[in-house]
Amino acid sequence: MESEAKKTAVVEEKQYNLFKDAMKRLAANKLAMVGLIVVSLVILIAIIGPMITPYDFLSQDLNYRNKAPSAQHWFGTDDLGRDVFSRVIYGARTAVIVAISVTVLSYLIGIVLGSLAGYLGGKVDAFVVWLIDVFMSIPSLLLVIVVNVSVKPVLVNWMDAKFLETQNQFFRNTTWVDFAIVFGSLAFIKWPKAARIIRGQILSIKNKNYVVAAKALGVPTSKIIRRYIIPNSIGPFIVSISSTLGEAMVLESSFSFLGVGVKPPIPSWGNMISDGLRVWQVYPHILAAPALVLAIVTISFSFLGDGLNDALNPRQWK
Amino acid sequence: MSALLEVKDLETQFKVRAGKLHAVNGVSFSLKQGEMLGVVGESGCGKSVTMMSLIRLLPPSASITNGSVMFEGVDLVKANKEQINAVRGSKIGMIFQDPMTSLNPFVKIGVQLSEGLMYHKSMRKKDAYDRCAQYLDMVGISNSRHRLEEYPHQLSGGMRQRVMIAMALVSEPKIVIADEPTTALDVTIQAQIVDLVKGLREKLDTSIIWITHDLSLLAGMVDRIMVMYAGCVVEEANLRDLYKDPRHPYTIGLLNSIPRLKNNENRRLRSIPGQPPNLLQKPASCPFASRCAFKTERCDRENPGLESVPGDDGASGHRIACWADTRGRI
Amino acid sequence: MNAEVKQPKVLMKVENLVKHFPVRLGAYGEKKAVVHAIDDISFDIYRGETLGLVGESGCGKSTTGFALLQLYKPSSGKITFDGLELTAMEEKALRPVRKRAQIIFQDPYSTLNPRMTILDAMAEPIRVHNLLPEKEIPARIAQLLDDVGLNFSFANRYPHEFSGGQRQRICIARALASNPEFIVCDEPISALDVSIQAQIINLMMDLQEKYKLTYLFIAHDLAVVRHISDRVVVMYLGKIMEIADKKELFDNPKHPYTKALLAAVPEADPDHERNKSRVILTGDVSNAIDPPSGCRFHPRCQYAKDACKKAQGPQLIKVAPGHLSACPYF
Repeated sequence: MESEAKKTAVVEEKQYNLFKDAMKRLAANKLAMVGLIVVSLVILIAIIGPMITPYDFLSQDLNYRNKAPSAQHWFGTDDLGRDVFSRVIYGARTAVIVAISVTVLSYLIGIVLGSLAGYLGGKVDAFVVWLIDVFMSIPSLLLVIVVNVSVKPVLVNWMDAKFLETQNQFFRNTTWVDFAIVFGSLAFIKWPKAARIIRGQILSIKNKNYVVAAKALGVPTSKIIRRYIIPNSIGPFIVSISSTLGEAMVLESSFSFLGVGVKPPIPSWGNMISDGLRVWQVYPHILAAPALVLAIVTISFSFLGDGLNDALNPRQWK
Repeated sequence: MSALLEVKDLETQFKVRAGKLHAVNGVSFSLKQGEMLGVVGESGCGKSVTMMSLIRLLPPSASITNGSVMFEGVDLVKANKEQINAVRGSKIGMIFQDPMTSLNPFVKIGVQLSEGLMYHKSMRKKDAYDRCAQYLDMVGISNSRHRLEEYPHQLSGGMRQRVMIAMALVSEPKIVIADEPTTALDVTIQAQIVDLVKGLREKLDTSIIWITHDLSLLAGMVDRIMVMYAGCVVEEANLRDLYKDPRHPYTIGLLNSIPRLKNNENRRLRSIPGQPPNLLQKPASCPFASRCAFKTERCDRENPGLESVPGDDGASGHRIACWADTRGRI
Repeated sequence: MNAEVKQPKVLMKVENLVKHFPVRLGAYGEKKAVVHAIDDISFDIYRGETLGLVGESGCGKSTTGFALLQLYKPSSGKITFDGLELTAMEEKALRPVRKRAQIIFQDPYSTLNPRMTILDAMAEPIRVHNLLPEKEIPARIAQLLDDVGLNFSFANRYPHEFSGGQRQRICIARALASNPEFIVCDEPISALDVSIQAQIINLMMDLQEKYKLTYLFIAHDLAVVRHISDRVVVMYLGKIMEIADKKELFDNPKHPYTKALLAAVPEADPDHERNKSRVILTGDVSNAIDPPSGCRFHPRCQYAKDACKKAQGPQLIKVAPGHLSACPYF
């Protein structure tokens, strides 16, 4: 019988490597590649932004206001004669800083609480789940507004006082307060999602037969976590990080649009859209530029997320 | 022809990522009034898909690409939506494998049972409930009036399967298709259900198609058995002939590979080597050839049709799809 | 129960094993309850034998297998493996034992880490227990794969590329990698197709002979258990109903439950099925959260007397050499 079974064996050498294969699959997915290129471009632009912008994002040219796109000003100029292209590029910087900080912050909290809940179970789990429910029930916009009117004045006053006291330039610019408030509030809103995903992953994999099997083989716990639990949860984890990055960018823009996020003159796609909205019937380019860029980036993140999800799941490989 | 149901050259395909899956490849059979037909085969042999194709209860990715299903003068393959809806549930009933997921957990049993009656037969609610209670009694559920007001989760698995049987029978269908109705149940519960179905057959004149992977289960129940492999019928015979004089190498292999409770002398099981073919290509030659001990050169060239077994005049209806004469070579 | 003083060496001794799972019921988990998965069972497994463990779903047979290997910590009781008291050991101290006692699971689809190649999965026990230097591992795996009838060219693939039967072969090969003496087989064939089941049973019997293995073979299919076992334990709702040599148990069952279970198994023989006297067990298995008092089987037993319902259930009593039954009346 053994020999019969061998007959069915196709003699074929084939080397597999999880990540190499995942990347191959990702590369084969055209939409995901478009997403990856756009996302990488946005991050690159955010880093090298100041080197490639033709104008300073603050420099006004009042003689040259509300101009349509041209060779000098690719995306035209706004009502203060500022170069829209440069502002969109600086806006990318804002968006990327916010997105990355929010994702890092919320995943730090999420990983700690989520894995504690998943591993320990029992009362700890019940408490974390309760906490997640409580935080998820907080309306995000309301939270940001509340933080804006309660925490922000305190912080700004403190910074002003410090500046007067020390004359340290760091305390002069209160822009960082805006950023900190956006990071903080968004991380506050986003960590429960991260915690939930991590807890869910750990719970489902902890009870998978292959983990029990590994335990039966005598594999030590640390190795079970390293070789069985982490590789199997990395897929959904990466996908959720990619979606959190995208969501954080959109939320930052919405907050700035509503005037509770990053404040002018620091450019954010949100406050630029808000500015553009006032004059869109006459000067549509001022609205179109940031809005289109935001839409393209958001869609790219979602393409990339889907592509990663497919690529990292070996069960979907052919 | 006095057949109640006449299936000819039925072919069903699924669209999958890798192309087309040829799940059913030219199945023909007929079913007489009151007859109980067993359909047996391993997973992926197309037994369920064939039977679901009869009433076109298929997922969107599947399509019937050839053949006809004649039932009461209508070709169900070509029938329009109204015609097929009139047949489903009313003239042809279904019993599924998993009674847990086949009943809606949020709807009372009485409502689920009577729905068909009120819809298909335009019965009034009270009459429909009376009829349902009567059928619950018949399938051995005590306190049936009270049960109609209960929810599925209040019943055990065996009880739920009884409800499913009552549901299939309550509209007095001509044919009931039972798709592995006892696979999810324990043996003692399975024995109860089998006993129930046998009892019901004596009372009712319903034809039953019983799909299963378990050859032993059919031995005490059905009149005729169809053995399927790779989307084809490979053998069709009366109950006794199939067990006592199996002719297709696959049937022989299956019977040899089942461990027996009686006369079990630690003999080595004679297993069938290899695995079923993948059906991304329609089998051009005999699909069993690669696993067959009787294989000849012809088997790799031509696909044998279902023909009367050698040495038979066709009266017994014993047919196999095999080029070899396996008489006395087991 | 008297310890018998004749016989082959005991490899695993189970004494008064209890496993209760706490659960929460009610919509908000407000009610605490206990599932009585195993309630005070004792039995021995002899070196080199296959002990069959049969019962219907929820009887605690799989829990027993898991508890034996300390994959579930027993609630109470003592398990001794070759003189080592496993129930008194910490996870770290158990590691050398894990090398000697292995398990094969029911569902070969979920027991292999989808992110590990077959080579890595099979090398895991060898690496964890430092059995071989790294460069000798491929040769060892080639030999193991050969033992289970697979080709080494498969080794660099991922589990999802294999069929159920092939995966089960891989799982068996992995279980063998650390040269175990004892293997718990938890329904190793019930997820497989009939023709593949026979291949795996034959393979397991061959390997047992070749490597002098001891099996605890857990199954719900009595015919399979009869085929592979030397002795059989019958469980019902967390209690042992009967223990006997295979031949004795199947030819001369004493306990009413064993008799009913045997009667419920269909046989692939129409004549036998027609003539067999059917004792069909009524009702369903009771709930393990609130098991019946006295003999667990009394609500379904046609011979139940008042004494059977009394608080203390019947103990296993010796009815013949090596034959224990938990029913004092038969």
